[in-house]
Amino acid sequence: MASVIIAVVASLFLLFLVGPVAGLVGAGGARGIASLGTDAELRQSLLLTALTATTATVLGILGGTPVAYVLARRTFRGKALLAAIMDLPLVIPHPVAGIALLLVLGRGSALGSALYAVGLRVAGSPTGIICAMLFVSAPLYVSAARESFARVDARFEAVARTLGDDAWRAFRRVTLPLSARGLTAAAIVMWARAVSEFGAIVILTYNPKVASVLSYDRFTAFGLQEALPVAAVLVLLALVPLAALRALRRDESPAAGAAGLR
Amino acid sequence: MISLRLVNARAGGFRLTDVTFDVSDGGYGVVIGPAGAGKTTLLETIAGVTRATSGHIVLRGEDVTSLGPERRRLGIVYQHAYLFPHLTVRENVEYGAVSADDAADAADRFGVGGLYDRAVHSLSGGERQLVAIARAIAARPEVLLLDEPFSALDPRTRGTTRRQLRATYFERGFTVLQVTHDFAEAGVLGDVAIVLDQGRVVQKGDPADVFHRPVSPYIADFLGVENVFAGTARPIRTEAPDWRDAAKNQFAELPVAFTTGGLTFYALGDVVPGPTHAVIRAEEVSLSVELSMSSMQNQFRGRIVEIVPAGALSKVTVEASGTLIVAAVTARSVRELSLDVGREIVAGFKATAVHLC
Repeated sequence: MASVIIAVVASLFLLFLVGPVAGLVGAGGARGIASLGTDAELRQSLLLTALTATTATVLGILGGTPVAYVLARRTFRGKALLAAIMDLPLVIPHPVAGIALLLVLGRGSALGSALYAVGLRVAGSPTGIICAMLFVSAPLYVSAARESFARVDARFEAVARTLGDDAWRAFRRVTLPLSARGLTAAAIVMWARAVSEFGAIVILTYNPKVASVLSYDRFTAFGLQEALPVAAVLVLLALVPLAALRALRRDESPAAGAAGLR
Repeated sequence: MISLRLVNARAGGFRLTDVTFDVSDGGYGVVIGPAGAGKTTLLETIAGVTRATSGHIVLRGEDVTSLGPERRRLGIVYQHAYLFPHLTVRENVEYGAVSADDAADAADRFGVGGLYDRAVHSLSGGERQLVAIARAIAARPEVLLLDEPFSALDPRTRGTTRRQLRATYFERGFTVLQVTHDFAEAGVLGDVAIVLDQGRVVQKGDPADVFHRPVSPYIADFLGVENVFAGTARPIRTEAPDWRDAAKNQFAELPVAFTTGGLTFYALGDVVPGPTHAVIRAEEVSLSVELSMSSMQNQFRGRIVEIVPAGALSKVTVEASGTLIVAAVTARSVRELSLDVGREIVAGFKATAVHLC
């Protein structure tokens, strides 16, 4: 009896999660794919989304990897505080994150006006989109990358050091290859999160429109039917990183576990 | 040479406190101690993997305390090999090798050449350990740190590997510091033994001396000494043992009488009168059917309460005046003396076999 109740509750829960997405793709998927050939604004929007998300992810990798490594390997005063600060953007409502970014990077701020003076406009530009994406999604990368580094026993590095490698060389030859799968997964998660971001972007840069803003724009301006194809294409786009993640996890070999890599 | 002076370090829950010892150039030191004593932390501090918070580490006459591991010209072999799992066996052995010839030579010495193209995850625990040793040797270290390197090997491979490592050690002349929990191994391999407990060096010196003269009952117990007695020592000058009238005056020279339970041992020692411990290795205790006129200063009649075969020897426990004395005797002695539980027997040991600590 208990197992029947669990099965029913689980099925309802899954239906709640999958139903709307499946309904959306069913209602607008075909039209969305077809409109890729005819709707130039949608194409540009998707391209902009992909480019800005990729740029934000690259920046997240460059800046977040050292932070993740330090958090995974080093013990120092204030480490817990630093970890908490890194997680802060995850718990701030995203429009609030957008407001905070606008406050610091908008033309009315000292930094924003200075950047504008040297020709770098943040608010209302692709740079603003990248900043918003980076702010809200980089903590996911840092958190996952930190876990990935922590799973690689520090003694692999210790052995490499005693075999003549300096710290950077040991990281490059040992730690990086052993954590590469986890770092790749972390980057995919960050990219997927960046692609799906709306709240912070819409505050900082409404135009040019990324796909999430475009779907919102079409919904408010033209109604549900016009928003459906854009929304459905966004869902299909989100399936790409999800499939990549699944493939990565399927390829994980038993040897990785035996060597203490999980 | 490995020389540590008042070294303090901390790694996770382990801590080293004022660690000081020397292993001479080309010497073979063994570190022994219970689990959690800080043995691995000690090796990692010498390697530079764990930073010493104070004190000095000198290798080959050079103070390396502030140098990174890669500049200390040493190798480390962990208990769990830590082969790089993303590399083949060949790539592991060649990782830090001075030359391809050095890698090939090391692989040949430890019999891992045949494994060269294998993936690490396909190796057995013993094979991994051999590759790890070959990898360290291929880098031609001047100091080799070994953290229970033979523990994953089967007895036959352990003997072969130990001999090969020993031969390489003599040939290359590097200095070794090896962690082991096996004191027999320490006795066979080491020039100097360092006993570590709770991050402190509690005894150091010649392994045989540490083995026979542990400085505390705790170390004696850790080293597997079967007979550790708590009692009271008192200096004697003219007293004679009270267990044998015939020998009344011949023990005036013995300086110490040690009383435990209903027994009094005679020993040589320089101890403050009062509570102390007496330690006697089971191998030093002999059994006889009758009291004998011999140089054996301590003989006690008792009854056998247990006989436990332990390899080539049997551990025979004798109860004498409520005190248990363990003797290690050969199987042949068990047969010839018809030793059996309940049998009356005399347990004896020389005064020099009693170590007071």
